[in-house]
Amino acid sequence: MAVVTLDQITKQYGPTGPVVVDHVDIHIADGEFMVLLGPSGCGKSTTLRMIAGLEEISSGKLSIGNRVVNQVPAKDRDIAMVFQSYALYPHMSVAENLAFGLRRRKFAAAEVDRRVSEAASILGLTPLLERKPSALSGGQRQRVALGRAMVREPMVFLFDEPLSNLDAALRVNTRTEIIKQHKRLGSTMIYVTHDQVEAMTMGTRICVMNAGKVAQIGAPLDVYWEPADTFVARFLGSPPMNLASAMVASSATGHGARSASLESPLTRWSPAVLGSLIDKKITFGVRAEDLFMNKAALGSEPAGLVRGRVIAVEPLGAETLLLIEVEPGVEWTARLPRHVPVSTDEIVELYYPASAAFIFDATTGRAVIGEARRDPRQ
Amino acid sequence: MADTLAERAPLPRFFSRGALALVLGIYTFYTLGPFLWLMTMSVRTTAEISTDHYAFPKKFHWEQFRIAWIDSDFATYFWNSTIVVVSAVAVVTLFGAAAAHALARYRFRGNRAVYGILFSSIIFPPQITLISLYQILVDYNLYNSLLGLTLVYVSLQLPLTVYLLEGFFARIPQDLFDAAKIDGYGDLEIFRRIVLPIGMPAIATTLILNFIQLWNEFLFAVVLITDPDKRTLPVGIRAFMGDHFQDIGMIATGVMISVIPVIIVYVFFSEKLIRGMTAGAIK
Ligand SMILES: Nc1ncnc2c1ncn2[C@@H]1O[C@H](COP(=O)(O)OP(=O)(O)OP(=O)(O)O)[C@@H](O)[C@H]1O
Ligand SMILES: [Mg+2]
Repeated sequence: MAVVTLDQITKQYGPTGPVVVDHVDIHIADGEFMVLLGPSGCGKSTTLRMIAGLEEISSGKLSIGNRVVNQVPAKDRDIAMVFQSYALYPHMSVAENLAFGLRRRKFAAAEVDRRVSEAASILGLTPLLERKPSALSGGQRQRVALGRAMVREPMVFLFDEPLSNLDAALRVNTRTEIIKQHKRLGSTMIYVTHDQVEAMTMGTRICVMNAGKVAQIGAPLDVYWEPADTFVARFLGSPPMNLASAMVASSATGHGARSASLESPLTRWSPAVLGSLIDKKITFGVRAEDLFMNKAALGSEPAGLVRGRVIAVEPLGAETLLLIEVEPGVEWTARLPRHVPVSTDEIVELYYPASAAFIFDATTGRAVIGEARRDPRQ
Repeated sequence: MADTLAERAPLPRFFSRGALALVLGIYTFYTLGPFLWLMTMSVRTTAEISTDHYAFPKKFHWEQFRIAWIDSDFATYFWNSTIVVVSAVAVVTLFGAAAAHALARYRFRGNRAVYGILFSSIIFPPQITLISLYQILVDYNLYNSLLGLTLVYVSLQLPLTVYLLEGFFARIPQDLFDAAKIDGYGDLEIFRRIVLPIGMPAIATTLILNFIQLWNEFLFAVVLITDPDKRTLPVGIRAFMGDHFQDIGMIATGVMISVIPVIIVYVFFSEKLIRGMTAGAIK
């Protein structure tokens, strides 16, 4: 069990090569389940491999359990890793795979047997112990890989997209299994994924990465409800947050955001913050589930409005996705109840509570910090 | 499903089976024929052979083997061949595997340069090195010695071995090495416990190829060895071919003796050889 701290960690391939991880700061508490989330190629695996000791750290300081480990080889870092490819030794049986790391560490044979059979029974691998990995299904291999990490009882578990080779049903099962093991062991776990559902359901906290940099760190729902910038806003949430550019304007009733196709009161920001933005361009955002066809659904709340031409109606059964074009090239998606009485090319108006609006700096994409949104979890 | 398919198209299937069997039969006869002929000749005397080349042995002269082994010094040749070839193959396999692993797995300055040089030495025919090798062996007092021949054999077979094994080892997923590193193993142990076992099919393949190649090697052996008691089998057999008289019976017996180890090595490693040929299935 250990605290893991990344202090300005940077990875550059070669002296003139690309910087793929750029001054990353992450503090992971003891027993925390930290998810590194980001699109393909953003440097998640590289970050994880630097923590594991498989990749050299170009600059910055990495400590595990209050010990700086930049120069400590992988085998002495007291970590275990589960690979996307599982990386089972193909010439060894399941039992040998599980015991391989313990043997090296000179555990007594009885202790090795005890840990292997314990892990095998927890993961339901007991009947498979004598098989070779080639005779296992994908899900079984995955569990062997998990077991190989568990028997080591390391301070820190590292996972690199361990579920991405499993089918959907198995993925849900294994997700639950990993969460269960995290509760049981209480170890620090660092989990890389590009799947936001995994991130939202598993993580104590999420670290969203973009192009080698940390975009935001926080509890899953905090990151969802208070995205730090447009990247996070669009990366978390499916469909992604709707964005369009607008101007801040002031009127007798207060400040508002306005463009040719949308109009919204801005209720979450203080007049002082908005005052400096008047007549400036901003990026305006609303999540798909906050859009409604019927203004009455919002009750007495101040409401915003968006107007657009219907491009598509996608009935999904439980809900219907409505795609509208609000400006040339800018599409918004609304997540609506089943019955949506519109047809393609019709011009529709959708409504949203003003408190559900987000505004972002038009150039940097950073969120303009306002009063926290009414907690939608209640 | 399978039944209806078979019923609908019995003729072409029968045809293709029959054709395949025919082709294989002809090929087997073509390759096995001379070998069977050699076997019959090895138990006939030269006089018998010259009266009728293809006749089946009337009387099996098993004593030919004893004569070859003891009186004609084939025991010595056999022993010399065994020493030279076994040690050369052992060194080539071990060093070749280690070098291939290093080239396949480690990024270091000059990695591709070394690989390129090795590869270029495969392209050129080995005969062009004969004269310079001769000179070098003379300079180092290794001319006309089994040690010298062994070293030459190592240098002949090493490049191709490294080349073949590098191709195979490079396909072993990096994750396995990373996993072993995290499991606590150092570079040498990873080589021994991961690379060697997983690469076994490929290693067995190169081992058989090298063994057969060197066991039959004649040119370098005849140039670099002069003493009759240091001859290897191919050179020893050649000694029975005079300009005017050829002891065909004795030659056939000698060849039979020399073929046996090749068959043994092949049978022993061939299951692995076949797996090596169908390799790539490392998951
Ligand atoms: N040896 C290398 N030399 C140069 N660039 C590299 C090297 N290895 C990786 N990269 C680059 O580093 C970046 C980050 O790679 P990384 O594997 O960490 O991405 P990732 O976030 O794990 O993506 P994915 O979700 O696809 O696994 C990529 O753009 C990749 O091209
Ligand atoms: Mg990755």
